[in-house]
Amino acid sequence: MTFFQLESPYRGAYALHRLTFGAGDPVVTLVAGVHGNEVNGTYALNLLAGVLRLQRPRGTVHLLPCVNLFGAEEGRKRWPFGDRDLNLSFPGHPEGSPVERVADAVMRASEGRLCVDVQTGSSVVHEVPHVRAPLSGAAVELGRAAGLPVLWRRPSESFDEGLVGAWRAAGRTALVVRGGRGGALDLDDAKVLARGLVRLLVEAGHLQTPEPPAAGVVTTDVCDYRCELGGFFVPEVRPGDRVVAGQVLGSLRAPVGGGALESLVAGAAGVVLAVRVYPVVHARELVVRVAQSTS
Amino acid sequence: MCDTLGVNVPPQLDTLIEIELPAGDAVAVHRRRFVGEVGPHVVLVAGVRGDTPEGTRVLYTVGRHLESVADRIVGTIDLYPCVNPLAAHLGARNWPGLDVDLNRRFPGRADGHAPDRVAAALVEAVRTADQVVELRGGHPSFRQAPHARVAASSPLAAERAAQANVRALWKIEASPTPGTLESVLPDLIGLEGGAGNRLTDGVGLELGDGVLNLLAVMGVIPESDLPFHWAAIQRPLVVSDAEVHDVRTGRGGLFLPVLACWAEVREGDVLGEVIEPISGVCLEAVRAPVAGRVLALREEPVVYPGNLVVRLAAAAT
Repeated sequence: MTFFQLESPYRGAYALHRLTFGAGDPVVTLVAGVHGNEVNGTYALNLLAGVLRLQRPRGTVHLLPCVNLFGAEEGRKRWPFGDRDLNLSFPGHPEGSPVERVADAVMRASEGRLCVDVQTGSSVVHEVPHVRAPLSGAAVELGRAAGLPVLWRRPSESFDEGLVGAWRAAGRTALVVRGGRGGALDLDDAKVLARGLVRLLVEAGHLQTPEPPAAGVVTTDVCDYRCELGGFFVPEVRPGDRVVAGQVLGSLRAPVGGGALESLVAGAAGVVLAVRVYPVVHARELVVRVAQSTS
Repeated sequence: MCDTLGVNVPPQLDTLIEIELPAGDAVAVHRRRFVGEVGPHVVLVAGVRGDTPEGTRVLYTVGRHLESVADRIVGTIDLYPCVNPLAAHLGARNWPGLDVDLNRRFPGRADGHAPDRVAAALVEAVRTADQVVELRGGHPSFRQAPHARVAASSPLAAERAAQANVRALWKIEASPTPGTLESVLPDLIGLEGGAGNRLTDGVGLELGDGVLNLLAVMGVIPESDLPFHWAAIQRPLVVSDAEVHDVRTGRGGLFLPVLACWAEVREGDVLGEVIEPISGVCLEAVRAPVAGRVLALREEPVVYPGNLVVRLAAAAT
């Protein structure tokens, strides 16, 4: 159904679509595509919609698979008109700017105690499917149940901004499910994300047929590896790889001639959470992220 | 004007930070420092966003004057003509490549990526100054009257900003947006006017005179050397948050303004129309909710429902 519309000059109105499965309590809302180029989240929710069409869920499941349709249309992260970051406009305002009105509509469409923001990595970084949740609370257990390769428990201030921050400020249990890279459909990642979301809905009591359980790394200890210099980064690992201390993660080379400038080595064992895929990097940019400790 | 190409090397030009680039070259953030007798330390910052050449022009004209009075300066004046040079060379708002808004990164991180390092270096360099003034440009979609913005909690900054030859002084009560320069420097004076990515007739001159007058009021440069008489300095319309009214469209279409920036309006006056661009049907007459002055006017005509088109300053002088 069309939950909200915004008149658009020269073309048809912007529409915020919400798919609803089931009825009654409990209620959960899953949102994707706040950034227009985060297509893996959109596809994961569409895969989840296929599951929900076959299985009548207990309670109500709302899906908003693509909030920033205009950005998606152009492959852009931001709301294209005025180049605004929709995720920085939450909680929004019903009489505010266009992005504030869209943000307000997303907040009104987000019913239920549990809300999930399904994101994709940036266009230059490929991330393994993972969950980001606060250090404690119901979100952690739900994140653990999702069984994605990594559950990254982070201090609560990491969740103060954006849609998740607005949900939390409104008293909701909120978490981020994230993977792939912006601007590109990674079918395998999207399927893993969708399976994780099914497990999460099983844990939340909405679905009864579980996906096969999967064990992931649960950690608060994530190490960012950055190149000291700028250059051309060639990775030696892929998202999801297990690495050991001392293993080469990648090398920095001269953009012209390819001469070796720097080698990045893992300081500890872990699972590769994110890898830079656009190779030209500036000094001190993130190139590899490793989830270190396991439980 | 340059006296002769290549010979007007600015005095005391040093490097705040140098950022190496992947292609092997580097980009530097420079500082021009004027040092005189012992006195206040004033910092003038421009170009935090790359689409604000007006601020850089103001610091150019201010720097020219400071060169002419260099032996009579009391204190230290630091000019940062362009903090975001990589974006400025593209005319882009954000730090390119990373697409990061530098004005959301303060106080920065010394061990972070390039914009974080620049932010951290700038904060470290200016934190102890007696006064920091940031020259800003408007959003490229708008034209703004020259005005000052200060935190309402900083009466000294407001007192000084009132001497900056601006048409309006906005004492902002709302908390600053996290990551902005004013969020880490609460006594900062923000001066802005004109339009993003453009130079506007008169605005650079007004703000340049305002900065010089501010320096004279603080005793950093001699009043007798100002290139204008002090009586020529404008006294601003002083407004609080409650007296600044954002007028938004109710419909989407083309916004056609019927007045100019800083025009005086009465309550109910038509500020512009929103038309349906193909049929030409007038969808909405946008009216002034209060009497006041037009502080900002939208120049990019395509609008959605809820777009800001006019900002009115409503208080009496």
